[in-house]
Order: sequence, then C-alpha cells, then structure tokens
Amino acid sequence: MSNAAEAVPEVINLSAGEKGFVDEIKALGATHILDCIQCAKCAAACPMALAGFPFFNKRVIQAILLGLKEMLLDDTSIWACQSCNRCTEVCPRKVNPFEVMQAMRRVAVREFALPTLAIEGIKSLYDVGHAVYLAQAHENRVKVGLPQKPPSTVAHPTALRELQALLEQTALSDLGIIPMGKSGVKESCEV
Amino acid sequence: MSKIGVYICHCGENIAGAVDIAEVKKYAGGLPGVALVRDYLFMCSDPGQDLIKQDIKDGLVDRVVVAACTPRTHEPIFRKAVEDAGLNRYLFEMANIRDQDSWAHWHDKQGATEKAKKLIASAVAKAALLEPLTDRYVDVTKAALVVGGGVAGMFAALDLANMGYKVYLVEKKPSIGGNMAKLDKTFPTNDCSACILTPVMVQVGTHPNITLLTYSEVEAVDGSIGNFRVKVRRRQTYIEWDKCTGCGACVEACPAKVPDEFNEGMSNRKAIYIEFPQAVPKKAVVDIAHCLNCAKRTFGTQPRIHSKTGEPILAPCEKACPTGACDRSLSYNPDGEIIELNVGTIIVATGYKVMDKAPFKEYSPQSPNVLTAMQLERLLSATGPTEGEFKRPSDGKKPKTVAFISCVGSRDKNHHPYCSKVCCMYMLKEARLIKEKYPETNVYIFFIDVRTGGKDFEEYYTYCRDLGIKIVRGRVGAVDELAGDRLRVRAYDVDMAAPVELEADLVVLATAIEPSPGLEELGRRLGITCGSEGFLKEVHTKLYPVETPVKGIYIAGCAQGPKDIPESVSQARAAAAAAAVPLTAGKVLVEPLISEIDAEKCSGCGLCVPLCPYSAIGMVQHGDKLRAKIDPALCAGCGVCAAACPSRAITLHGFTTAQIEAQIEALTFSGGDLNV
Repeated sequence: MSNAAEAVPEVINLSAGEKGFVDEIKALGATHILDCIQCAKCAAACPMALAGFPFFNKRVIQAILLGLKEMLLDDTSIWACQSCNRCTEVCPRKVNPFEVMQAMRRVAVREFALPTLAIEGIKSLYDVGHAVYLAQAHENRVKVGLPQKPPSTVAHPTALRELQALLEQTALSDLGIIPMGKSGVKESCEV
Repeated sequence: MSKIGVYICHCGENIAGAVDIAEVKKYAGGLPGVALVRDYLFMCSDPGQDLIKQDIKDGLVDRVVVAACTPRTHEPIFRKAVEDAGLNRYLFEMANIRDQDSWAHWHDKQGATEKAKKLIASAVAKAALLEPLTDRYVDVTKAALVVGGGVAGMFAALDLANMGYKVYLVEKKPSIGGNMAKLDKTFPTNDCSACILTPVMVQVGTHPNITLLTYSEVEAVDGSIGNFRVKVRRRQTYIEWDKCTGCGACVEACPAKVPDEFNEGMSNRKAIYIEFPQAVPKKAVVDIAHCLNCAKRTFGTQPRIHSKTGEPILAPCEKACPTGACDRSLSYNPDGEIIELNVGTIIVATGYKVMDKAPFKEYSPQSPNVLTAMQLERLLSATGPTEGEFKRPSDGKKPKTVAFISCVGSRDKNHHPYCSKVCCMYMLKEARLIKEKYPETNVYIFFIDVRTGGKDFEEYYTYCRDLGIKIVRGRVGAVDELAGDRLRVRAYDVDMAAPVELEADLVVLATAIEPSPGLEELGRRLGITCGSEGFLKEVHTKLYPVETPVKGIYIAGCAQGPKDIPESVSQARAAAAAAAVPLTAGKVLVEPLISEIDAEKCSGCGLCVPLCPYSAIGMVQHGDKLRAKIDPALCAGCGVCAAACPSRAITLHGFTTAQIEAQIEALTFSGGDLNV
C-alpha cells in the first residue's frame, strides 16, 4: 500500500526512541504490553492488517516497545481499528492488543495527532450521539416508512444531553478539539 | 548341514513400509542351509524373541539370522535370546535391513526389497560358517580417571569418589573450576556462581579418594575397559607446590605483565600467578614464556653474589616467597613429569571454549567496547577486572545503551552450524543483571530466535521482558565505530518490517560455544570420534548418551555438545553412574571377537605390529624364530592386522576370511541387480 510506504521511514533510529514511553502506555490502560513476544497471532486475525494499514496491532506494540512514539503519531493507522476485539480473543499471552490500541489513541489525542476524520467523528458523536451519522438519510428513511431519525440518542434530546454531559467530563473537553458546552450541565450528569 | 533360521522383523512400518516382507520371506526360504523363515511385527519384543527360542528348543534351527534394525543397539538382545535357548551366542548373525536399507531407500520399495534379499543372503552365507566362541572376563582396576576439572568433571569425580573408588582428576589449567568459575551469576536462579561452585571445588580438593592433577594433560591412553593405562603429563610449574601456601607474595613482587586469561584478557596478570583468588589448589605457577628472569635469575642457575654485601642477588619472586617454594636455583625439567595411572574407566569432561570475537569483522571486533559475553561476564563479576563495577573498557564510563547480538558464530554455516543452546539464556541473564543494577540503562537484545526451553526458563524470559529489556528480532548486520567511542548497530527489525539503527556505548556478542581446543586430538588418543561440529560423539543420542564407542570411556558436559550447568551436572552424574558399573562388578566381559595369530603360518614379517592401533601385537620367540603374538587383553577386534597379513596367518574370530568371502560371494554372485 502506498500509504504504508510513506509512513515508514527508511531507517528507524532506535536511539531516538522515547524512554519510558512503554510505562506511559501501561499507565494509559495497556497494562500487559510487556508480555508481548511478537508471535503475530493478533496480526493474523486483524482486519486492519488485511486492509493494509501499516500499524496494525502487533506492529503498534513493537513500535511502542521501542519507544517510537513520533512514528506512530505521524500515521493514522491506529484510528482504523474497528474494535472487533479479535486480537484480544486470540492473544495467547493475554496482552490485550485492543487496549494497547486504545492507550495509543489516548496519547494521540493528547498530542492532537488525530485525523480530520476522527475529529468529525467526535464532533458528530457530541452533536447527535453517533460517530457516523448521515443526516441525508432522513428522506430515504421516511420514504421506506421509517421515522426520520433512528430511535437512538439522536431522537431523544434528554439522552443526547446526558451523553454530552458525559463527554464534557472527559479529557476531550479540556483539549478543546471540538466545541463543547451545549448541554448546559457542567458538574454533574443529572440533566 | 547347518539348520539356519531366518527371522525377518517388520519394525512396525519402519521396514515393512518399504520392504515387501512376503517376497523376501519366500526368497530367504530358498537360500542354502535355511531351515525355516519367520517374520514378526517386532522381533525384539518378548513374543518375537520367543519365536526364536522356541525354534531352537524344538531343534528346528541351530544358527540364527535376524534381519532387522541394527546390531549397534539390538545385537546384544538377540545374542542373549539365542544363548537363553541353549545355543552358543556367537551362532547368531544380523542383517541390517532397516538403517542400511528401508530407511535409506524409502522411496524405492522395489530396490529396498531386492537389497533386503541380498543382505539376508549375505548374512545366511556367513551364518553357515559361524563357529561357537567363548566369552572371557577380565578383572577391573577399581579406579577412574576424569579428564577435565570443570563443573561436570568435578561432579563426576565426586560421585565416583563418594562411592569409594579412587579417582584421578586431570585438569589442564592450574586450578579446577573451569568456565563456571568465570561466571558472575547463573540462570535461571541468578545464584552467584562462585558461591555455589567454590564449596564444590573445596570438596574435590580435599576428598581423600580424589587425586587432583592440575596443570596436567592426558598424553597417551592404552589398554581397554577395566585396565586402561594412562600417561599424564604434569606441566612444569617452576614452583615447589609442596611448599607453596598460595600466599601470593611472589605474585605481588613480579613485575611482568601478561593478559589475564581468567579475565578474558580484560586485565593483566603477572608472569608468576595464581589463576584466580578462589583457586583449588591455591598454588602459584610461573608462565615461563613471559618470565623476565629478573636479576638474571633463569631457572637452574646459582645467584650472583652482591659485590658489596656478599649476599646472593635473588629475583623479586624468590625474595618474596616466605616458604622457599620459589627457588630458581633448582633445575626444573621444562617438559614436566609423566605420571602413569592405571584405571578401570575414564570420563571425559573437557568442557568448552567461548568463540573469539575476532572473526566477526562486521561487528568491529577491534573496538574495546565490543565484548564477548564471557568478557562481559568478567566485567560484571565482583572478582573481575573492575570488581563488578559496570564500566566500558575504552574510557571507564558507565554505558548508557548496551546492545546484545545473539547467534554470533552459531547457526552460521561459516562458523558453527549448530545452536549453542545457552546464549539466549546468558544474554537474558546479563541483560537482566545490568537492568536490575542500573535500571536507567537502555538494553537491547537483537535475536533471530529466543530459545528458552527448560524448566523455569520461560518465566525468566518473561521477567526480563517485564524489566523493559527491548528485544528486536533481526540479526545485526553491522556494528560501526563512531566518533566518541560510540558504536552504531545496524539491523533489520522483522517485527517493524524496517531497517533499524541504534547508537550504543557497549556491544556484547553472544559468541558460540566451541569444543575445547585439542578435543579432537584427545579423542584420537582415546579412540573416540568427534561429530562434524567437533564435539565428542556418544554411542546413541537417546539411549546411551554418556557412552562412547570405546567401552569404559564415558563423556559428560560440554565435551559432548553445548549445555547449561544443570544439564552438565546431570550428565556428569549419569556418566559417573555408568562408569561405576564396571568398577562395582569387578570384572568385565570381553567379547571373543578378537584376532589370533597362527604362529605356524606367520612369516615374522612384523607388518602387523606398527599397524595395530591398540599396541596389542608384539614379536615373541616361537621355536627358533620371532613370530607375532596378539595380547588378547588389548586386542579390540578391529581387524586391521587380519586385513594386512600377507601370510593370512591372522584370524579375526567372528569375521574369518572364509566368512567374509562367503558374504561377498552371496552379495555379488547370486544373481539379480542390486539397486544401491
């Protein structure tokens, strides 16, 4: 994949690896990352790897172990994880590669290293309660006899406010990646 | 006419899968002298052997041919069956239709079947001419020799000594202890090597049944099981060991400096030295090649007299020696002395050598900061050149980044094609020792496989990973020297699928485990061969792991192949048990398959005398002429003399000329193409 070729520099300088990065990732939820022995069972089950993303589970883990933070931040692969959790199911060392992916995302968000697509997703989640939501689908839904909005958060203003209140309590709100503050509830989840 | 019984073994599918048993059976039935033919799934099983016994008891057969696996493992079993049934055990012949036929020609069933027929025909032809022979027994000298004073040799010696046998322990170096004495810690428990080894060394040194012969080498061995005669050369120490107390005063006085072998050349020792502080025996030796002969005091000369004081001018070492052990007026024999030993059994435990870094030009071996793992071991050891402080050799600074490179010279067809087995573990151990003591150090291990097979080893590996030691799959391609004593390690990270490079302060090469220098020569003296990798070969990998083809000689430890300490000790104790069997029995069976000279036919040419590898042939007076005579106690039945004798005066019993010729005839003249 051409994307991969661009993302991987010619020679990786291990000396430039960030010391203590593994500890940070561990603290962010990937508690058992050091148990990984790169057996690649997770990669064999990973749809991301099949789709050709350069940093799939196993490779993300190795890059983290080597402290190659910048390299991971320069690439959008980690955002392609579909959370299918197959890696976690098959891992023979109980590393929980999905948690590693999540921890890496936490680092990426903190460093504002997230793709536009992800920002749109977060904004959409905050606005309507869906990371992926097609407002254009309203007409079609009506045509086939469905309510204009699906019977989820988007159709329930109270639920949406609850969700927004929750999101406002997270690190996302402090980072200011998307505008927040619509819920009008600052300190509690009660709406 | 003899009544030969032919018994064809299927060896499960091993033989029957390639050889058409029914066809071979039919063919064998038609061979001259064959009274009956039987086949069975496993001829060596109880029911299989019962077939043979019953036929003998019923008087149906008086000669037995078993066509099966190999005489190497199974001849004794069938001989015993024949004997149990009341027949002489030497009226038995084996046709090897498995190792030499079905296994070798698995994909040519037709050819394998034809070859089986030939091999059986040949065995039958010989069987017809077999004659009964009588076993002999020889008395056993109740003493043993252990060659090599490392951890394996020491445990073998201790076990035999504790059983009550006299043991001679021969060690090349001035002290016992071997490679283990050089180690800092030992995996998988991280025991301090010296702490667990020193008491064992002391036990060996003080055991009443053990005679320690250090600074000595085996020069020649003759005789056979039960009665080996061994010549040991005790090298010249130039010190009277009876008087030397190991105080070290001479060492302090000596001005000469020589790279210290014990510290892997990482520091200097003196020309007069004690190998290491915990040495057993703790005695000094003079390295005569590097002795400066201070005050013109060469050995064997009288001191000059000081013109003013009238006192003799002594060399610093002899001046310092409080006991007079260092006396340079004595004229020592530079060749040392020969000690002759009589022993019943021998254990070879000569250990290993760590491969040198010099051949690996791509890893900058000229850099003082590129070390072998054994050098690092000394660097980490409290008794080492830095007293355990972790400093890099070039500038004495503490390394911030250390890179280990695995499989240096191992799994490498240019050097050693085998896996050295202990490197993964010792790299992890050294990495762990560094990381535990200096957690801020960056430690990288570049590997092609991490092999941690063994009790508690995987746990050890996992623990090392948990410490944050970075493990990169990919053999290093190059180590370049950079300015400021830095080193650049270049590799390909298979897991990242990208080339990587690393700037390191210290690079450690996990160099291969090699056979000890001179092992092949020692093997020749003992009559044991080395495998292609240079280690001594055991008789059978699985069933006879400590036995050698020479009866009464056993092997233990790394002389046989790379091993860790637990394995070396286990094998040493196994070898001691095996070596004790003949000593306990007090007598050993000598097969009568030896050569004999017909003095009437012998022309006295003497050709056989120098040919005999066992020095078993001498010339004796026979009537008015000198004739060759074979000492049956020494003859090993190799047959060299019988093949060389121009008068055909020598008979190798069990392999007579008539028998061999009958075999050849059966193989070559009985028709059909032999597809081999």
